Amino acid sequence: MEPTKFQVKLYTKSGDVELEKLVPVFHEWIRSKKIADELLIDVADYAHVPQGPGVVLIGHQSDYYLDLADDRPGLLYSRKRGFDGDFQGGVDDAFRRALEACKLLEAESGLDFEFATDEVLFRVQDRLNAPNADATYEAYKPALEKAASTYFGGSASLERVGGPREPFAVRISTGSQGTVDEALARA
Amino acid sequence: MTSWKEQLGDRVPEQLAGEVDLFEGQIELKKQGKLDDKIFAETRLRRGVYGQRYDNGLRDDGTGQKPLAFPCGDLTKGPDTVWDAPGMMRIKIPFGKLSADQLDVLSELAEENSDSILHVTTRQDIQLHFIHIEEAPDMMRRLASVGITTREACGNSVRNVTACEYAGVCTTQAFDVTPYADAITKYLLGHPDVQDFGRKFKIAFSGCEDNPCGLVTFHDLGAVAHVRDGKRGFRVVVGGGLGAVPVQAKVLDEFCPEEELLPLAQAVSRVFARLGEKQSRARARIKFLVQKVGIDEFKRLVAEERAGLRPDPRWTAFLDDLHSTDEKPVREAGPLPANASPAFTRWAEHNLKPQAQDGYYVAIVKMPLGDFTSDQGRALASLAREYTGDAIRCTVEQNLAFRWLSGADAVAFYERLSALSLAEAGAGTISDMTSCPGTDTCKLGISASRGVTGELRKRLSLVQDELDPAVQALRMKASGCFNSCGQHHAADIGFTGVSRQVGGRKVPHFNIVLGGQWTENAKSYGLVVGAVPSKNIPKAVDLITAHYLEQREGEESFQAFIARVGKKEFRKVLAPIQKPPAYEDDPSYYSDWGDPREYNIGDIGIGECAGEIVPFVEFGLQEAEQQLHDAQDALEAGDAAAAASGGFKAMVTAAKALIRHLEVQVTDDANDVVGNFKTHLYDTQLFHDPFAKGKFANYLLKMHGDKSYEDANEEIAHRALDEAQLFLEAAHGCYQRLTEAAAAAAE
Repeated sequence: MEPTKFQVKLYTKSGDVELEKLVPVFHEWIRSKKIADELLIDVADYAHVPQGPGVVLIGHQSDYYLDLADDRPGLLYSRKRGFDGDFQGGVDDAFRRALEACKLLEAESGLDFEFATDEVLFRVQDRLNAPNADATYEAYKPALEKAASTYFGGSASLERVGGPREPFAVRISTGSQGTVDEALARA
Repeated sequence: MTSWKEQLGDRVPEQLAGEVDLFEGQIELKKQGKLDDKIFAETRLRRGVYGQRYDNGLRDDGTGQKPLAFPCGDLTKGPDTVWDAPGMMRIKIPFGKLSADQLDVLSELAEENSDSILHVTTRQDIQLHFIHIEEAPDMMRRLASVGITTREACGNSVRNVTACEYAGVCTTQAFDVTPYADAITKYLLGHPDVQDFGRKFKIAFSGCEDNPCGLVTFHDLGAVAHVRDGKRGFRVVVGGGLGAVPVQAKVLDEFCPEEELLPLAQAVSRVFARLGEKQSRARARIKFLVQKVGIDEFKRLVAEERAGLRPDPRWTAFLDDLHSTDEKPVREAGPLPANASPAFTRWAEHNLKPQAQDGYYVAIVKMPLGDFTSDQGRALASLAREYTGDAIRCTVEQNLAFRWLSGADAVAFYERLSALSLAEAGAGTISDMTSCPGTDTCKLGISASRGVTGELRKRLSLVQDELDPAVQALRMKASGCFNSCGQHHAADIGFTGVSRQVGGRKVPHFNIVLGGQWTENAKSYGLVVGAVPSKNIPKAVDLITAHYLEQREGEESFQAFIARVGKKEFRKVLAPIQKPPAYEDDPSYYSDWGDPREYNIGDIGIGECAGEIVPFVEFGLQEAEQQLHDAQDALEAGDAAAAASGGFKAMVTAAKALIRHLEVQVTDDANDVVGNFKTHLYDTQLFHDPFAKGKFANYLLKMHGDKSYEDANEEIAHRALDEAQLFLEAAHGCYQRLTEAAAAAAE
């Protein structure tokens, strides 16, 4: 297993988001190098695409989406390039970066974002190494359970979602009612 | 872990597999410093791997241009093109035809290698953005496994061959052009006679003269189906093009028999490769060659070339099975339901078109700005498998057409689209706008064509049903720069991005082009009526459409209306909104739609559209051509003073481009430009024509001195334009000589 191309999505508590307000925020993140250890490049605005990727902060190592897929807005962290650690480290890192981005968004005045921590969508955009199949699920399950426990406490329940044409995806019900700050503090 | 190469094995055709392996090898050689930048750039371009905005490693963040510290260091993938910088992959979809399996793979690549968005282009390609070059070979292998190649999608080559999306099912076609488009695609792909062009070469097919779908008149080579005395053939046109100076194609052959189509295309290619401009890319499209030699001489050259061609069995082999590209419906034909919902009826009005085959329909799925997601792509592939079979076509209006939909299934199909949020009504109406990528991702973008289009779409969606039918039927198209990828010249209302200096700051604008004709294969182009600040474009659309409704005579069409009232009248209509407020009063005018950064054009890069490199000087020369074109329009409209000043302005722009080419700093001020021109180009005799010596340079110097362009009458304006035309020609010649001298010095 290669710890690459992991995606982690945390959903907003409210279903209504004003994407146009996010565009200047992401531009400012680039300007101020808000995510210090990543090269941020550009902002892609897909607000016109229904159930689309919303607004995307394009980086070299990772992208950050305010994603509208399934009409469920959320912060989608998407790692694109290799991670210099072990597999568990890669999963943990993806969870951490998603939560940290949520924290940054919650802190932006004027956005009124609040993210729930009771549910996480985890995906791997790599059909060669991680097809959406039972074997992949069995291989990933321990790492995902551990990451969920690290950030959200308790024991999570996992469900593989989607079919073989779709990327490998697991919906994680964490049981957490805590905040993003609390999740980051726990780790 | 295995690799895609191993995983796909012989599902990748041998020839394509070899080409991808070769490209992968070239990537490795480039990383080892063993390949020249320019050669590698052209290599990747010819494989569809394109540059993108900011790939020079610089980006203006609104406070100034800042370096993007990519980890690759000094490694580049072309001149001034950073290795790690995100790029675009253009994927050729010949005549837009897609199968469900192909759509699945494209959707996979979009989410694994891009940002989950598939973009339909105005030439029936699919583009993926923000990809890393090192992921390109595996992407190509996966595409090849479903019969797609990116070869010659960019660069100086035969680009995607386009055709009407209704070909084969159309009620007005002479015959199905699909097998002919397929044959020419396969014949010319990689053909030795098309490897030495000075510029790209675009081919389009249309099944009939009257409908717009093929748009052959603005293609380098166009073929319109005809049947004469029971025999199939084509009216073949050549030398059309958009860009800064749009040109209608000219008739090369009134009736080319079907068996002569491929050899004729080959002969045209050989003439273009042999005689087309190679040094000055701004004048290297075949339209300039046709203009230069004249259509009669061009015909003679092609006939001569054709006569000397060695016969090739492929010229006619495809004629033995013209049904090879036929599609097979997967459902029984049936009638549309009698009592459908109002929502379905509203959608069906513009999005459902009856086929020539009874009981079947073409459903147009409207894609906002040509975009759809990987999830939607997969779902659409499932819909195709269930309802239509492998009969999807990308359209030149950036939508997807699903053919062979049984009328009996239309409601169920519509409901499935609704669940995907893809059942937007109004295909081919004012809300179905076309846009090139513009400043979003294109290195050449001047204004945010997608930004303004997105804003107009949003506003129109609120009022669309209340619009007068005459306004609903209008088409709007936007291009981010003069290269016209948004095909705005052929729209009722077109926009092309330009920049204007106001109070020491730059303001994004769009030139408004009115009255272009989409029908009859884009038979005529629109008139430029003037530039409007980007933020006032929605107001401009309101003013234009209101004026049309108020002043039209009876059922007068928009084109007829524009032709009758002329652009002078629209200048008056738009005058109140042409001047932006001062920055201090409203800074929002000084940023573009969807981009909060203060506007500037510093991020415009070196374009790869032309294949390899377009130096900045060529943009200046193209801009000068556009200004001269506008000035000629002004004269035509009776505005002699504007025409003469426009001619002078064009000369100054061309002079400035050359001065900058010499790496001399120069401002936009005409006095500064002319002063520098005299010092660096006139006194040095660099601008001197080998035969006319300083004659053309003196046109600029004299006009600048006597200010004859001010308050010019018609006679003076005519002379000014003639002189400007000659000056521009001389500027191109000068640039060519400078380039050649530099090359000689390098050797």
